[in-house]
Amino acid sequence: MPDNGSTPSAAATRKLLSSRPLERIVVLGANGTMGYGSAALFTQAVPHVTFLARTRAKAEEGLASAIAQVRSPTVASRAECGDYNEDLESAVAQADLIFEALTEDLDIKREMFDRVESARRDDAIVATVTSGLSINALCQGRSESFRRHFLGLHFFNPPNVITGTELIAGNDTDADVLDFIEAFSRLRLGREMVRTADTPAFAGNRVGFKVLNEAAQLAETLGPALVDRIVGPYTGRALTPLATVDLVGWDIHRAIVDNVHANTKDEAHSTLELPAYMASLMERGVLGDKTGGGFFKRDGKTRLALDVASGNYIPISEVALPDMGYVNDIANLYAQGRYEDGMAIFLKAKGDEASLARKVIAGYISYAFHRVGEVAESINEIDRILGMGFNWAPPSVLVDTMGSRAAVDMIGEAGLPIPELLSDAANSSKQERFFHHPNINVGRFFVAS
Amino acid sequence: MAQGSEVYILGGFQTDFGRNWTKENKHFSALMRESVLGALERCEIAPEEIESAHVGNFAAELYCMQGHLGAFFTEVDPAFSGLPTSRHEAACASGSIALLAASAEIEAGRYDLQAVVGIEQMKTVSAGEGGAFLGTAAWYDEEAKDIDFPFPKLFGKLGDEYDKRYGLRDEHLAEISKINYANAKLNPNAQTRTWYMNKEHALCRTDDNPAVGGRIRIADCSQVTDGSVCVFLASRDYAERYARGMGKKLEDIPRIKGWGHNTARLRFADKVAESEGAEYVLPHVRSTIASAMQRAGIADVNGIDGIETHDCFTTSEYMAVDHFGITAPGESWKAVEEGWLEIDGKHPINPSGGLIGAGHPVGATGVRQLLDAYLQVAGEAGDYQVEEAKNFQTLNIGGSGTTSVSFVVGT
Repeated sequence: MPDNGSTPSAAATRKLLSSRPLERIVVLGANGTMGYGSAALFTQAVPHVTFLARTRAKAEEGLASAIAQVRSPTVASRAECGDYNEDLESAVAQADLIFEALTEDLDIKREMFDRVESARRDDAIVATVTSGLSINALCQGRSESFRRHFLGLHFFNPPNVITGTELIAGNDTDADVLDFIEAFSRLRLGREMVRTADTPAFAGNRVGFKVLNEAAQLAETLGPALVDRIVGPYTGRALTPLATVDLVGWDIHRAIVDNVHANTKDEAHSTLELPAYMASLMERGVLGDKTGGGFFKRDGKTRLALDVASGNYIPISEVALPDMGYVNDIANLYAQGRYEDGMAIFLKAKGDEASLARKVIAGYISYAFHRVGEVAESINEIDRILGMGFNWAPPSVLVDTMGSRAAVDMIGEAGLPIPELLSDAANSSKQERFFHHPNINVGRFFVAS
Repeated sequence: MAQGSEVYILGGFQTDFGRNWTKENKHFSALMRESVLGALERCEIAPEEIESAHVGNFAAELYCMQGHLGAFFTEVDPAFSGLPTSRHEAACASGSIALLAASAEIEAGRYDLQAVVGIEQMKTVSAGEGGAFLGTAAWYDEEAKDIDFPFPKLFGKLGDEYDKRYGLRDEHLAEISKINYANAKLNPNAQTRTWYMNKEHALCRTDDNPAVGGRIRIADCSQVTDGSVCVFLASRDYAERYARGMGKKLEDIPRIKGWGHNTARLRFADKVAESEGAEYVLPHVRSTIASAMQRAGIADVNGIDGIETHDCFTTSEYMAVDHFGITAPGESWKAVEEGWLEIDGKHPINPSGGLIGAGHPVGATGVRQLLDAYLQVAGEAGDYQVEEAKNFQTLNIGGSGTTSVSFVVGT
């Protein structure tokens, strides 16, 4: 086989791992979802993990949640619990890594970093799991030693299942600190590591929530059941978009799209505007699965869909859905592993639903390729985080499967801007794949339903 | 062509063993298709070049209601229509039997380039039903009928036999499990790479790690896996041309240097009765390993840089340690305690994670082991690369130590 180039570094990477100690990790905000999920992950790899929260009881709740999440009582044998008042300084002073997972609020986090700074050892690494706040803003005004050891380590929820992880450097982060954390995360925590720029919502959520929010906008007129059918599994995802927003939580969705909408200005700006109906339903307490329902809810065995206009729920079986026979044709081909053939049907399928599906997918591809150089160095990083963080067919995989000429035509037909990378590829005589990752099976993204 | 002519390995492809093809709503033909097309692409071989194909599979008739698997190879590419193909079965050693058949045909001079596919889709049925299917790898009526999960119980008995003859401590088995899970984290195609494991968990004796057969607990077991692996085997002539085309030297192309193959009596009790008073608990397994080394011209395990062994359970790896000659018979625990089995140790075992960590799609395992041995000696194993590996050996076992196949792969 051809050389893949990664091999010579294996032993060197393992040596890099032993170049500095990583025996003690302190998790701040260990009662939150990302806090206890990350803490559980750490107990696989290091002997001492301290769960800290506002009260010891809260930290103990976090530990119980961690044990339940990974289904191993042995988490407890590697964990200690404590609170910010009594235990923070002593725990942080001993820690090799301080991992911050507090509420997504710049001031709250910065206040905590003030205390961390005065207690930490000079060589201790400080990481934040923020899903979109600026890494540079978070460490602004801190000492040089702090800034050199500070980085973003963005796990996706739940971290014990989803391996895609973003690593974000600040302006002053040491290169060897980044390399070390990347090696640790990859080799000891089994992460798929992606380096992204310090831009709002980084790479994964920037592109991913654009698509999710566009689906939410479409639901205003089409209804959630039809939208999730149109942008269904056959478009390259295991979980449909609006079901994903319900799982993530509407409040989190709002925080992410508001942040992106307020702090960026790109060619798809309007797709990042939260639909007004979501804001008003949120005022009535609708936050998705955690409040018992969002776009969808369950009543016993019956699955219900939101009627956006009234705010009421109706059984999905009673929602009139148009015939979308082409989806079954595609699914039958995918079931036999014939992904190119299935994609060819997608490109040619007739009807408003098929056109709309192509428009959303064209928007996804166009938006992702336009972010190259802004949120990440290449399309490869954006591809990997959407593949392994969202479990979506990465933009490049879709382009490779349909062909770059077909992708350009589809984007043009949708009236969206065509990325230069794609038009260059379409005009080139050589047909080269964009997605080169021998260790990710692209077939997994083509779900046959 | 003279007997014993060389068989080269040009590379291959394995599917991600973490995938659940039933959840993706996919037929096993998709599984085969991805592995074969993946291998063609990675090895830069045109479909028209393939002359014959062998498929290793244990029980698609049971899991997928489908036989005649050799014929499914022709569905992968129009160029394959008309090729001679066949399917091979020897329980968990099915993949290695397919490799033996393919390499024998190359040695005989019949073909220059063969595809070998190992495949099993197992997540189509519940764990209990699948456990009964696996029971057909034993003497079903005698050892498996009406027994829940018969195989963990049989390999629990292997542990008991070690305990009786030499003494056996569960913590040594737990360490084996821990190493396999840790190595699996380095392998992007390993089934368990995101699973929670540490030594305490492997040792824990609660409902989170329940007993499934005597001393065998969940953490001691390989798991139900969907997967397919395709490799290409070639004659010297073809390998020479291939090497030139890839800008490599023939000496850089790994080859099968030696093989071993034995079949013992089916029932575990009969095997143990036969070996009573002998040095090794499973002498036929020892013979398979030794003959592969002998054919490769390697004196003993010190000439082997790493091993991919059949750890369907921790007890089978424990058995492999002394049967490979890493320790004296009955002293496998020493290798565990000394850290020799770890990836940077003196005798690394299962850098891929093995069956426990990487997964065990039954009919695919033997082919997966050969591909991993290839990747190691070609220096292409990525994060689970063993440093300076020149010779790697596999051990693939069907049944309770019944059919054994071993290959020595090297450059």
